[in-house]
Amino acid sequence: MSSQETKKYPSVLLQNRHPDRIATLDEYRRSGGYEGLTALLGAGNPKQAQQVLLDANLLGRGGAAFPAGKKMMTIAENAPFPRYVVCNADEMEPGTFKDRVLIFADPHQLIEGIVIAGYAARASHGIIFIRPEYEQAARIMEREIEVARSEGLVGRNILQSGYDMEIVVHRSGGRYICGEATAQINALMGVRPNPKQPPPYPTTKGLWQRPTVVQNVETLCCMPHILRNGAQWFGSLALTENGAGTKVFCVSGRVERPGCYELPMGVPLKEIVEVHAGGIKNGGRFKACLPGGASTAFVPARLYDIPMDYESLKQEGFRLGTAAVMVFDHSDCLVDATVNLLDFFARESCGWCTPCRDGLPYIRDLMKRVEAGRGSTETIEKIETMCRHMWSAYCAFAPGAVSPVQGLMAEFKDEVMAHVEQGGCPFK
Amino acid sequence: MPKLIIDDISVAVPEGTKVIEAAEQVGIHIPRFCYHPALGSVGACRVCAVKFLQGPFKGVQMSCMIEAADGMVVSTTDPEAVDFRRHVIEWLMINHPHDCPVCDEGGHCLLQDMTVSGGHGMRRYQGKKRTYLDQDLGPLVQHEMNRCIQCYRCSRFYQEYAGYRDLGVMGIASRVYYGRFGPGTLKSPFSGNLIDICPTGVYTDRPSRYKGRRWDYERTPSVCIHCCLGCRITVNVRYREVVRIEARYSPTVNGHFICDRGRYGFFYASSDRRPRKARSGGAETRPKNARDEAAHRLEEITARHGSGSVAVVGGSRSTLETLAAERRICRQLGWQGPSLFTGTEESAAARRAAGHLTTDLAVSLEALKNADLILVAGADPINEAPMAALAIRQAARNGAHIEVIDPRPVTLPLEYVHRPAGTDKISEILRGLGKPSTEDASGDIQDLAARLDQSRRPVVVCGAGKIASERTVEQAARLARNLRRAGKKAGLFFVMTGANTFAACRMAGDPADLETLLLMIEDGKVRALVVVEADPMSEYPDLARLVDALAKLDLMVVLDCIDTETARAAHVFFPTQTFFETGGTLINNEARIQQARPAFAGGTPISQTGGGSHPPRVFRDDIPGTEALSAGQLLMDIVSALSGGISRSVEEFDGVAPEFSGFDPVEATGERGTWAKLPLRTAAGPDSPQMGGETPIKKGELLLVESVYGTEALSRSSPWLQELESEPALTLHPEDASRWGLQHGDRCELSTEAGALTVPVHTSRSTAPGTLVLPRHRRLRWQVFQHFRSGLDTVRIRKTGGEGA
Amino acid sequence: MIPEPTLSHLKDRIAAADHPRELVVDVMFALQEHYGYLSDEAVETTGALLGMSPLQVEELATFYTFLYREPVGRYVIHLCDSVICWLDGAESLRDHLCRKLKIEMGRTTPDGLFTLLPVCCIGYCDRSPAMLVNRKVYGPLTPEKVDELLEKLKQESE
Repeated sequence: MSSQETKKYPSVLLQNRHPDRIATLDEYRRSGGYEGLTALLGAGNPKQAQQVLLDANLLGRGGAAFPAGKKMMTIAENAPFPRYVVCNADEMEPGTFKDRVLIFADPHQLIEGIVIAGYAARASHGIIFIRPEYEQAARIMEREIEVARSEGLVGRNILQSGYDMEIVVHRSGGRYICGEATAQINALMGVRPNPKQPPPYPTTKGLWQRPTVVQNVETLCCMPHILRNGAQWFGSLALTENGAGTKVFCVSGRVERPGCYELPMGVPLKEIVEVHAGGIKNGGRFKACLPGGASTAFVPARLYDIPMDYESLKQEGFRLGTAAVMVFDHSDCLVDATVNLLDFFARESCGWCTPCRDGLPYIRDLMKRVEAGRGSTETIEKIETMCRHMWSAYCAFAPGAVSPVQGLMAEFKDEVMAHVEQGGCPFK
Repeated sequence: MPKLIIDDISVAVPEGTKVIEAAEQVGIHIPRFCYHPALGSVGACRVCAVKFLQGPFKGVQMSCMIEAADGMVVSTTDPEAVDFRRHVIEWLMINHPHDCPVCDEGGHCLLQDMTVSGGHGMRRYQGKKRTYLDQDLGPLVQHEMNRCIQCYRCSRFYQEYAGYRDLGVMGIASRVYYGRFGPGTLKSPFSGNLIDICPTGVYTDRPSRYKGRRWDYERTPSVCIHCCLGCRITVNVRYREVVRIEARYSPTVNGHFICDRGRYGFFYASSDRRPRKARSGGAETRPKNARDEAAHRLEEITARHGSGSVAVVGGSRSTLETLAAERRICRQLGWQGPSLFTGTEESAAARRAAGHLTTDLAVSLEALKNADLILVAGADPINEAPMAALAIRQAARNGAHIEVIDPRPVTLPLEYVHRPAGTDKISEILRGLGKPSTEDASGDIQDLAARLDQSRRPVVVCGAGKIASERTVEQAARLARNLRRAGKKAGLFFVMTGANTFAACRMAGDPADLETLLLMIEDGKVRALVVVEADPMSEYPDLARLVDALAKLDLMVVLDCIDTETARAAHVFFPTQTFFETGGTLINNEARIQQARPAFAGGTPISQTGGGSHPPRVFRDDIPGTEALSAGQLLMDIVSALSGGISRSVEEFDGVAPEFSGFDPVEATGERGTWAKLPLRTAAGPDSPQMGGETPIKKGELLLVESVYGTEALSRSSPWLQELESEPALTLHPEDASRWGLQHGDRCELSTEAGALTVPVHTSRSTAPGTLVLPRHRRLRWQVFQHFRSGLDTVRIRKTGGEGA
Repeated sequence: MIPEPTLSHLKDRIAAADHPRELVVDVMFALQEHYGYLSDEAVETTGALLGMSPLQVEELATFYTFLYREPVGRYVIHLCDSVICWLDGAESLRDHLCRKLKIEMGRTTPDGLFTLLPVCCIGYCDRSPAMLVNRKVYGPLTPEKVDELLEKLKQESE
């Protein structure tokens, strides 16, 4: 399969990507950049933008896959001002680095996306919330915002339309939970970034108690293209009926060419791994992957052909998440990998609710026992029960944290039991 | 009213009721740690999980986070929910130490209860327990972080509910830590509530540490007597010693909380300095001898100088029963008094306030929280009645606008507008606002007038005692009444000077105040004083004059439970029981009648009689230290020994004062008692006659004020609260300070003809220009100024320390 | 004491902000930059600048990964230990670093040059195993590359 020719798909979000530098404003403009915004401001109808985004079936690319147009539409007509657009560039889901790549490739694409979202939401402030590991990306954004401002694309009276929008970069102090929209809003307000269970939703009472739209970098980057080329075009980019647009897949782990690949929504998993990422490294066999970051379940080899879009994965009981495909081969112990994932989640729990704060370390410890060959069937039962209970935690963090564990139990029970039966890890 | 079914029981509840609260209404107590009725729901602990079988929500959900809705069918016993709750407990118990045998929370620990009832009996977790370092949080609250179950109640109470910022939550994940930035005394005067709200033993009561287990204590519901609000408390007694006070829930007065003055002010009750013996001429004597001597000498004096030559001096820390006894005696025997107030102005202001409070205007502490605008005039809530500040904060949190008109640098734990106005200006401002048309309001209060106009539930909180004048009281009442007439649900809330000031207003005789009575002593008309639970020598602002006057007396009889200067100056002294021993009736600032039962029988604590050993090795059939009687009873006993004296039960009120006819203290049991409130006029009559204007202050004035710790008669002897006292200082506006060449941090001498004292200088821009503020602090000899508000023409100020001194 | 230009720059930004508190992380980073770590004094100064109590600042300072409440070395090495770097040998790299620097994770070398801290996924899974040194990324790493880098940093610091 790895010898198969690389298929050619249209490159949209990464069309201006250079290996060693960012795209300039001119380059972005030459590829049609800011045309969507110009048209939108010319038409002067924020609702139109909302509708196009809804029609395009643009689903949030940060992991939750909430329809972007619908989110905009939940802002009440008479909701108070100022309103905010928060660009979520926190990207802390393990395996995920597409937002960084998007910013490094084409920062103006993101700026245009933010202004479009801002106009659609009638927001006057855009805030890019960025993780501290991406300091360089933060500086790029700050610099390019100034470039955009000098061209009348950001700031007062954008493109002489009378629409004002300021964009600032907010640096996070660094925590996984800050990627959660409500926690991010708390972080922006300088309070402890614990998530806040809705209602009220951020679009009703978000940042400073005002309507706030939080969108992922990739979601925002899609917007200029949808506005310029239309909803139908966006839909036609996908390979599957239910999908829409392209998706930037971050492929990592046991592959020859780890990296970001922009591919049509619905591209088969096997093609991503075998063709685009160059196949499994060192002649290994594909064993499983986490399809969308650490908080998704292992997809086993029997589903190697699955089309990678939200709906197809959902039907099989999986989530596309951030589309960070982390690949494991036949030599990897998935129990051990799961211990690592649980370690991550136990450490990053914000500490708000009991199941997450105290239950995750417990499950991690149990899983460690299993990995060390000191587990029993009772240990496995305990893990499974506790994982089930994690779904009654406060936010989506704990359910995400146990998704790989539950996936492991569902698809790789034999491997888990081998640890118990052999009194140790069969891979060591 | 949504109707739902919980465990097969149908219940209809008001809109907005959470399922956890709805369950409570049908007697189902769903486990909870983070949920607290006063703090609300945050969904953190997850132990209130129940299963939703039908309705808009399905599956295991938190009953604190979901509002009751029509058609809901909820099961608290569903196996899935029970198993989830059991796991939550198990997770919480992973790190909780098994130190229950030495934990003061043991026996009333919510975590203990839930662990047992949740069915988590066996430890399955095999890892180590997480441990923390504790902090020294000061003399009141003990910190034991290892016990923490991270419910967030403490930080939410401390910061959100109470508005203080020095305790909170730090760290992340399973290392979340609750405490301060560094070790140190908690700054909030409500810090003791941490002990009550913590569901386990992270915060425990420090003064009573290891004094006993909860189930060892004699626990009695009672009422706090450290300010006018009358918060409900639970008294804990062990071995004849009051060891701990806890907040007791009251839906109308204090809600769930009390202040630290109320919680830690009880030290006097079991102090080894408490007088236990009667004294005659300073020497201990048998109670009967003292009684005979007092009666004999009173008889002599009345025989020689007439019945009007004896006067009773009392105060607002006495029970209604004692005050009634005083009044009855004075009336029947023709004695002067009882004089229950210190000064003439104070008496006039307090009695005017009591007279103006009508049933439609009087608001409870709880109702204060529902106001949408609160105007504080001539009152300093944090220092005078701390829980009022906490209630005002809740109103502010609900969106109320808060405005303070007061010369003092009032600080409240909330956002408010402060207008520093001299005491002579407060009534003028109120008068401007109180006019039916706000158009007349002068320029700078237009804003406030407009806000009042837009408000729907405004409350005027007004001082009524030593600082706010009678005119201020009058104008505050008029303003409230006018707002009421304008169709608003307006309220009036007086901050009075003592626990039973309202009762004192009704029971005071002629003269009502000591200041007037002094004139009668000075001209030789009054020759004997019976001082009941009052301490003029510490409370009267003109000590020199008082001492001269007292020297003229033929006899001073003092009845008190604490050893005061006045008690030491008495010819005959009788020890009385404390409120903890007598129980009795108090009437708070909104005319609410509250009854307390005796918490214990009294006597010297075993810790003082046991010679350090326990249990005591010497057995006896009496209780040592029980000579004391209630002040009212003692008074009756003395009087009944007089020929032609009266003999009545202190519990009878007929004939004492008209509104008390038929009053039965036993019936007046508070919340639902038939006498829950003192009968007030149901509505305002015609406006009381116009009074003359305020006397304008010429050169400025010096105010002797109350502070949260160190001024109130009983709590000021508490060693724990003494640790919290800040050094008493003179506070004034920086521009005034520069008039005397003073700056912040200097020391200065304040002197009058009667004496001098030296204090540090604090400057504050929120002090009214021309006003000097000095606390009536136990550490200051402040009784040289003659009046609680004295003109600066009588005061000299001289810098004695600081730069350039 | 904070140098006046830094302080006045922060004050200007705070004065210009609609909601000063939104700058709290920025202020902490700026003061951390000055002190080398977020000292008690830095926490107190942050509070004073923003009208927050030191405790309120501490509530945030102790939440975030990149705010150091204890002194750190000149070079703070954050070694990623999340799943992809782990798969690619982060653990042996960790052991190598500890051996090389003669310190445990979480410690600082006695010369005050290096502090070794674990960090969760830093978003460089295409360059695993990876680490940050003073927030600059290095990867994919091998023990040899780590040695070279440490040597280079040591020389730079001299």
